[in-house]
Amino acid sequence: MRKPLLLLLWLWMCGIIVAAYHWAPLAEGFKGDSSRILFFHVPVAWVSFVAFMAAGVSSLRFLAGRREARHDRSAAVAVELGLLFALLATLTGAIWARIEWGAWWNWDPRQTSIVVAMLFYAAYLALRSAIADQESRGRLSAAYATLGLVVAPFFYFILPRLAFTLHPEPVVNASGEVDVDPRMLAVLLASSAGFTVLYFWIHRLRARLAGIELRRDEGTE
Amino acid sequence: MSSTWLAEAFAVFGKDWRSEMRARHSVATLVLFALTTLIIASLALGPIGASPGERSEVVAALLWILLLFAAAAGLPRAFVHEEESRTAAALRLAARPSAVFAGKLLWVASLLAALEAIATPLAVALFDLEVASPLGLLAALAGGGLGLAAATTVLAAIVAQGRGATTLFAALAFPLLVPLAVLAVAATRSALLGGEAGPVLLQLLLYDGSIVVAGFLLFPVIWNP
Repeated sequence: MRKPLLLLLWLWMCGIIVAAYHWAPLAEGFKGDSSRILFFHVPVAWVSFVAFMAAGVSSLRFLAGRREARHDRSAAVAVELGLLFALLATLTGAIWARIEWGAWWNWDPRQTSIVVAMLFYAAYLALRSAIADQESRGRLSAAYATLGLVVAPFFYFILPRLAFTLHPEPVVNASGEVDVDPRMLAVLLASSAGFTVLYFWIHRLRARLAGIELRRDEGTE
Repeated sequence: MSSTWLAEAFAVFGKDWRSEMRARHSVATLVLFALTTLIIASLALGPIGASPGERSEVVAALLWILLLFAAAAGLPRAFVHEEESRTAAALRLAARPSAVFAGKLLWVASLLAALEAIATPLAVALFDLEVASPLGLLAALAGGGLGLAAATTVLAAIVAQGRGATTLFAALAFPLLVPLAVLAVAATRSALLGGEAGPVLLQLLLYDGSIVVAGFLLFPVIWNP
């Protein structure tokens, strides 16, 4: 990313932090300032979903195209970052749950399903490290990540709605209506956009680095 | 020999049942595992005398845990066996990839159906359950069995191809099977207790459909090195 764009992203994220604490109103019925975690918790959860989907898309491009190693690397990096963001969503969720529900962990359907999603993608990384041959590693792990494209919507959208949950209604709730204060919604959307751009920037850096490391290792052999 | 796609698929299916009937690897593993688990569970839970409603709640979950673990113990062999006995290459020559997948899927699904046919009546008898909706129970078993068969067939093909990945089967399969397990348990529970099962069965069908379609699309890639 060019320097001015990077500066813009930095200013944007700074603006979101300020807006989250000083401009957006508090949600009613929550303890203290705890509802402000929404502006960070929801975007990182969203980005983890974007990353897992991106891994699936890269894997499809790998399988459908000429099996270029860069698509394979891109999928692996997306999964690593997706796991990182899912972990952040889990941690911020646990902090909020401690304040609001009184316990870090409650096996709420949403907490459970994000853990299962993380297990799925951790298994993807385990599969990669178990296969030594580069050709079959790319092919088989891409197939597994494509399965993720199919089940991730179940993890994120269907499982959490199956059982009784204490989790606040998602912004787009079951009735399909947006029921949030306009200022809160503005900050939430701006933050989601900011985190998404941040994700793609980190992804590009990591993927480039992985490519460079590969060339370095090939050069020394 | 010219053959249609359907004939190839049924040939694979028939071959697997014939070789299974000769060696009885998978059937023995699955049935013994299911029997042992059911007996242990009924010893632990049965005589204590939980109320019938509570028992149905527990057994619905227990039945699917049993089927899941039985599948993980007995089904990876579907493809590992082909690689070990070096028959995979012949199979690649003899049938189209999608026909191989269809045949294997059919074989795994029929094996699971047989296991369900043994385990479910036994569970109902051992735990003294009342089935509110037999048709709903059948739908839950069929829907859950199909999804379980499709997911394990795809994953069995993946682990058989990757050297050293066989031991990963359970780690790869369980996260993939969690949505299926949750949906199948919910459907089974409402069939036992009597309740609205329509939406859950529909979601189960959606899961099955997505995995079967993904399986047919991905299998040629997994199967051909």
